[in-house]
Order: sequence, then C-alpha cells, then structure tokens
Amino acid sequence: MPGWQKLYSELKDKHFEIVSVAEDTGGAKDAARWITAANPGYTVLIDTQHMVTRLYDMVNVPTAVWIDEKGHIVRPNEVAYVDNRFKSLHGIEAAPYLDAIRDWATNGEKSRFVLSEKELRERLKPQNPDHALAAAEFGLAEYLYRTGKGGDAIPHYKEAQRLNPESWNYKRQAWALSDAQRDYGTSFMNEVKKLQGKPYYAPRQLPETKK
Amino acid sequence: MLRSRFYLAGPLVCLAAAGSPIFAANPSVVIYDGLTREVAGAPDKSNDLWLKPADLTRATKFELKPQGLCTDTVCIPLPEARKDTFLATRAGETWFNLSEFARLLKQPVAHDAKHSIWYFGPRPEAQNGYTQTLQAPDFTLPDLQGKTHSLADFRGKKVLLITWGSR
Repeated sequence: MPGWQKLYSELKDKHFEIVSVAEDTGGAKDAARWITAANPGYTVLIDTQHMVTRLYDMVNVPTAVWIDEKGHIVRPNEVAYVDNRFKSLHGIEAAPYLDAIRDWATNGEKSRFVLSEKELRERLKPQNPDHALAAAEFGLAEYLYRTGKGGDAIPHYKEAQRLNPESWNYKRQAWALSDAQRDYGTSFMNEVKKLQGKPYYAPRQLPETKK
Repeated sequence: MLRSRFYLAGPLVCLAAAGSPIFAANPSVVIYDGLTREVAGAPDKSNDLWLKPADLTRATKFELKPQGLCTDTVCIPLPEARKDTFLATRAGETWFNLSEFARLLKQPVAHDAKHSIWYFGPRPEAQNGYTQTLQAPDFTLPDLQGKTHSLADFRGKKVLLITWGSR
C-alpha cells in the first residue's frame, strides 16, 4: 500500500485515480489494519462477496485493470505488484509495470501500453462454464461461512477449487478461513512450493516483453 | 415462516417420475442476482427446486405469465414442447421448476442439500457482456467508513482498479 500511495501522489494530478478493492470474506475485520496503517489518499473498498473477482473473472491477487475516462477497459486483468517483496515466490519485477502506469497516466490513449480493440478482444474471453459453476460454488460457500455454517462451506470451497484449479483466489480465501492443513490437507505456502518456481500467475504481457 | 416440513396432499400430477416420494416443501434459501430470499421450496428427486409463483417472483423478480417468465424489461418464453418440465400442478397449486429454468438460461447453480440453499449465478450474457462492449463492469462497494462508492463515480478519470487480499 505505501508503494501505491507514492505512485498515486505522483500521478493524481493527471486525471488518474486508484480504486483498490479488498477481496476478503472477513471484510473490515481482516482488511482494516492494512488500510488504517497505510491511510491511503485513494479509494479503498471492501468486497466481502468477491464481487469484483467474479465480474472481471479474476484468478489471483493482486490483479489490476486499466479503465479509461469513458469507463472502457484498456488493459484487462494482469498481475500488479507494486514492489519486489514477494519476488522470490513469483519472480515478477515490479518496476516495468509501474513505469507502464506512469506512461498511461501521462499519455492517456496514446500510451503504447493501451491495448487496441483487437488485442482486447483477444484477451477478454467469455467465462468457461466450469469456471462459472466454480463461482457459484464459491458464492454458496461464502454465504454458508457468513451465516455461521463455516464447516459446511468446506465441500463447496473444494468444489470451486476443483472446477477452477487456476483460481488462486478460491484457494487463498478458503484456506485462510479455516485450518487449511486440517480441512484441506495443504497450505498456501505448500502449494506455492509445489510449483517449484514456476509463476503461479499468468505472466504480464507488456510491450517490451512481447518482441 | 415455515417452521416444519409440510406435505402437499392430493394426487401426484406430472411431477417427476411415477412412484416418486412425497413432494415436500421446505424452508429454503434462494440466492439469485445477489438477492437472498427465504422461500417454501420443494426439491424433487434430482434436487431441482420447485417454487410457487409468489415465491418465484419474490426470489427472482420473474413473474409467471402466459407468454413465459417476465420481468419489467424482458420476457423469456418456455419451450412449448416441454412445458411440463417447468410447470406442475399439485393440489390445485402451480409450482415452477427454477432449476430447469436455470438450465434453459445456462445459468450456473450450486446447491447445498443439508441447509436447502440454492445459489444461482449470473446468466452468461450478463457475466460476459463486457467482453463484447469492453465497458468495465460497474460495482458499488463500501469503504472502511461504510460509505459506498461506484466505479462509475470515477468516469472522466483514468482508473487503476486493483484487487488485493489481506490474508
């Protein structure tokens, strides 16, 4: 968060906003301490029902989307680390992405990082039916958890994970809400280690990496 | 509110196969378009959810009409040839199979039998519309102080939308 605040201070006079959304079933209870500690000048919202994850078909955090002045997507879902704190896990360098954001804030639609309509249509795919079902299972699990039936939520979290194994959001949230080792026989760090350094996030496709 | 199971009397009319168990209505929860409603739901043998028209409208905003299922803005006709997979009459009352309607609309459905909860996800055209229009799906969420903000409030500015998770 301090990293985003720094970028925001730098760019906010260029018709640039950050809308940061906490995807947390635990809501303010879990997210508040991070927000209070950082006290950011940009907007931070709490999404207990993972609505943004579903609407944009996201599979992990942190994920960012660029939206232009007219409300159109100009860069869809991509990994958005603001610093290199977890680089040893995912291997993604933060700086090129932050430079891309600076370029966009300054040059708007003329930025070389803004995708063409053709590129956008290639990247934005309709949700696969299994993943749609996974989202419904996750929504049901979230409702069970929220209404005090956390134990009965577990089979539905597992079903969501089975139907959409690419979603780290489903893994992370489900494991965080219970004793992952006991209820799921694993943990977040365990699963990350299993990848043996493979990125657990689809790689970014900034122009300089396309070539 | 229904506190206990009740059984619908009367002859078995066109519900499920012959010899099916008694058609019982339970207090059930339907989550539909983000709206949560308690209803008297009657699951059949294959766990399809049957509702009375009043509950159907309360839970989904769809109203049962001669031309199909209608909201203020849209009417979806039921396939004439297999209308009886959607509609049943029991003891003089009409019941509607919401699960079958979801299959017609290709809506994803998750079900919890123990707590009698049905979660209906969005119809594909609602979920995927933005991949055609390229318009960022709007949402309204609270900040830490409880004040709500919509993405659309930021129109006229470039918005970097970032999701994160605290644990």
